[in-house]
Amino acid sequence: MSQSRHTPRVAVLLLNLFAQGEEAASLLGDLSEESFEVAAKSGTAAARQWYWRQTLKTLAHLFACDFRNAPWSTSALLIGGFLLSRFVSSVPDRILSAMTDKYLFYWSNHFHAYMFLATDGMLISHLIAVTLVGSTIALAAKGKEMLAPTALALVLAGMAVIGSIVVTAKTADASFLWIAAVQSSNSFAMVAGAAIVRMRRRSAQAQPRPA
Amino acid sequence: MRDRDHLGEFEHIVMLALLRLEDRAYGVTVRREIELRTKREVSIGAVYATLDRLESKGYVKSHHGEPTPERGGRSKRFFRITAQGLAAVHRTHGALRSMASGLGLARSHS
Repeated sequence: MSQSRHTPRVAVLLLNLFAQGEEAASLLGDLSEESFEVAAKSGTAAARQWYWRQTLKTLAHLFACDFRNAPWSTSALLIGGFLLSRFVSSVPDRILSAMTDKYLFYWSNHFHAYMFLATDGMLISHLIAVTLVGSTIALAAKGKEMLAPTALALVLAGMAVIGSIVVTAKTADASFLWIAAVQSSNSFAMVAGAAIVRMRRRSAQAQPRPA
Repeated sequence: MRDRDHLGEFEHIVMLALLRLEDRAYGVTVRREIELRTKREVSIGAVYATLDRLESKGYVKSHHGEPTPERGGRSKRFFRITAQGLAAVHRTHGALRSMASGLGLARSHS
């Protein structure tokens, strides 16, 4: 399917992720048809703006509808996902301290490698862990893979932003805002993990089954 | 109890749009019809969410048309009201008329 200049790719990707199979095709078709007409009347920039506005409103509706259709299972996944993310986020730190204790002599001779592991390595391992949490929640939510992980990601990012603003205001130390940035990237990784499961499942459903 | 169900405000508006559009009712035309007549901006997501809900209640049926190039090769999903849906529209209309009768609303807004 060809995408024209007035259909933003990211918006199409988001709608594809959040809308159900047949619904996604109808939605995207309708938006494509209308944006084509907006572009002819008001130009490509106006059409892209219109498309984004419709996409954001539509995503909010899809989100609310999915939650209304399955409030209990979504809430259970949210709570389960929250507990899992708390547990998983402590795993890289525990592994690092265990490795440090066991191979103390090696790390003392390779201090730069240790520093990399303790800084960038930890950030990367946290991102991977959170991506796995997002994928796990999505695997447990058949048909609504994006709902619970995205909701949890928004809750965690919101908590981190509020927390870091409060601490920054109390301590007058802007370096605490870094926590919000790290948690936001973790939240993005969680949604990405769910998106991977969603796309894998969709492509598996699209493949013809053997007779 | 389902036979006594009334439509919500937006459900009612969508059902009336389907009745107006007859066999031309799909996402784009329904959205435009509502915007044109109610003078309020409506997202395609709100229209589909409502149509899906109405379909699950048995008030609306849908079928797919042919794919077209301006839709990126995707087909239109046409909607039409069922007999059950028409009864729900009449019921809701009747309830609203009954509630409004004697209030002189038509005169005060004209």
